[in-house]
Amino acid sequence: MPTRNPWSFHGYFFLMTVVFILVPAFLPALSATAGEAVVRVGVYENSPKVFTSEQGEPAGIFIDIIRQIAELEGWTLEYVHGTWTEGLDRLAKGEIDLMPDVAYTAAREKTYAYHQVPVLSDWFQVYARKGSGIKSIVDLDGKRILVLDRSVQQSSFGQMVQGFGINSILTGLPDYKAIFEKIAAGEADAAITNRFYGMTHAAKYGLEDTAIIFNPTKLFFAAPLQHNGGPLLTAIDTRLDQFKRDSQSIYYASLARWTSEKVNFSLPAWVRITGLIIGVALIMSLLGSLVLKRQVNLRTRELQDINREMEGRIEQRTAELAVAMQKAQAADHLKSAFLASMSHELRTPLNSIIGFTGILLQGLAGPLNEEQKKQLLMVQNSSRHLLALINDVLDISKIEADQLSLSFSTFELRPSIEKTVKLVAPLAYKKGLELVLEIGPDVAAVTTDQRRLEQVILNLLNNAVKFTEKGRVSLACRTEKNGYLLSVSDTGIGIRAEEIPGLFQPFHQIDTGLSRKHEGTGLGLSICKKLVGMMRGTIEVQSQWREGSIFTVWFPENGGESS
Amino acid sequence: MTKSLLIIEDNAQNFYMMRFLLEKNGFTVIGAENGREGIEKALESNPKAILLDIQLPEMDGYAVARELKKHPELDRVPIIAVTSYAMVGDREKIMEAGATGYIEKPINPDTFVAEILQYLQDQEKPS
Repeated sequence: MPTRNPWSFHGYFFLMTVVFILVPAFLPALSATAGEAVVRVGVYENSPKVFTSEQGEPAGIFIDIIRQIAELEGWTLEYVHGTWTEGLDRLAKGEIDLMPDVAYTAAREKTYAYHQVPVLSDWFQVYARKGSGIKSIVDLDGKRILVLDRSVQQSSFGQMVQGFGINSILTGLPDYKAIFEKIAAGEADAAITNRFYGMTHAAKYGLEDTAIIFNPTKLFFAAPLQHNGGPLLTAIDTRLDQFKRDSQSIYYASLARWTSEKVNFSLPAWVRITGLIIGVALIMSLLGSLVLKRQVNLRTRELQDINREMEGRIEQRTAELAVAMQKAQAADHLKSAFLASMSHELRTPLNSIIGFTGILLQGLAGPLNEEQKKQLLMVQNSSRHLLALINDVLDISKIEADQLSLSFSTFELRPSIEKTVKLVAPLAYKKGLELVLEIGPDVAAVTTDQRRLEQVILNLLNNAVKFTEKGRVSLACRTEKNGYLLSVSDTGIGIRAEEIPGLFQPFHQIDTGLSRKHEGTGLGLSICKKLVGMMRGTIEVQSQWREGSIFTVWFPENGGESS
Repeated sequence: MTKSLLIIEDNAQNFYMMRFLLEKNGFTVIGAENGREGIEKALESNPKAILLDIQLPEMDGYAVARELKKHPELDRVPIIAVTSYAMVGDREKIMEAGATGYIEKPINPDTFVAEILQYLQDQEKPS
């Protein structure tokens, strides 16, 4: 059904959209189920490393990593939300087990325990409003600078600016979000954040990064010192090492997700616009598909009409063909009937002529004088010739009309040949010709149409006797290649080379003054060739003008085989 | 005992010829011009043999042969088909209908009577 296609496409598209929205929403819920050990993790706002998502769930690179480790180790994670400073306090008191994204310092190592493999490498960078003119560290002289309270950068930046002899007002705030908001609002001139936070959020607040980069640090999960976080930290090290060696691991997936794809989430307007566009597109395509459906229906109806018309025409043509076929079959039938009728109607009067002539010649109706006998013999000859003509014409008509079929049977070839030779013997002796018969000792049974084979042999023998005035006519037969080779040779007038090609064509008789005295239809050899062909055999001729001819027939021992 | 033969033949000349040849050779000939008459005469005269033409008006030779075969009293009477039908299968068809033998037209006066005698002789042999 062609009308359904546009729908199925939109349905698929819609389904895929729903799946993409739902899957990330369910992911966090999956991991908090299994395990015995409960690990309390501090959560604060330091996107994209650690933060609280719009759904109120902990998110970020450190959260992704600890979640994966927890799942592999069988821990149950418990999140304790708060600010950076609250988190550090809780960690120190042992109220939480892990604090994410804690830079290593010698001072902190006295309060907290660290694992060995760093989660991330980070550094600090100064951000300012676009067009603020802050390019290098000297530009910071006399500027109000905001920094995360109790952070590494707070102390290290202080030392750095002192070294350059720069006087700036450094103010500590509890989180990066508040810092960027104040800079954006013009309440301060520059902010110091880690590169991850700056990279992700600067554009949103109309801020840009400056060339002031300092204090590369390594970031870890920190555990309480007195808590003896040994097994916990060892597990984190082992897993981190694995993750970092596998380019398909959660580690790299999370980095890619929060540092590049995160941009989409940080621009909700963009998402809304995209959603709107998709929605509009969906509605448009829905409307479009309705219009399309209408048009398709319209075209379908047209096509159906055309189809019906075509079907009608085909039916009509088929009916016409059937009628034509019937006519052809009727004509064919008529032809068969005509042939049978001809056969009967022509032979019946001939039956009388030949029969009564024969009776008179036998003297059964009374004695005949010599002249009467001579003339009656002429009548008999003419009527026999006429019968031969009728038979030949009927045969060739049947062959041409594919009406002639052979009737195969298995019989002994030798007596069949001998019987046929006997038929021409009287005429041969009368003409003073020698009649030679050579049948090979291995000539035995054959499967073919006996009557038609005898017809062929008789035809060849009759021709040979007819066209030979002196010398001999010989028939030889022997086995050859799963069949029999039968040749009839004579010492008669022969055939001119140019006459040979047309010899087996219908109505062909050698057109010489000499041949006039030889009666015949000119159909005999043509019939012979057709019959031999139907017996799956071959017929050939070799001749020398004025010296004689040899007709050679080969026919298979089993001519009825799959033909 | 006279050797009576029934000839079922609609062509007067053919009938005359066959009757002439057979009578010259000592047979008594009964004639019938169509199938119905032929069957009636076969039953009332009990001939030595029946010569049957195939192309007869109304009831053809095949039907006549089948009808004759239904009468057990004619069991030992040979039915000899005499016809110019020479299409493939004609011989098989008439033999199937119940004919004992088959003589092709045109009749050869030199051999016709000899052929009839052969059929009668075959019939007298215990089968």
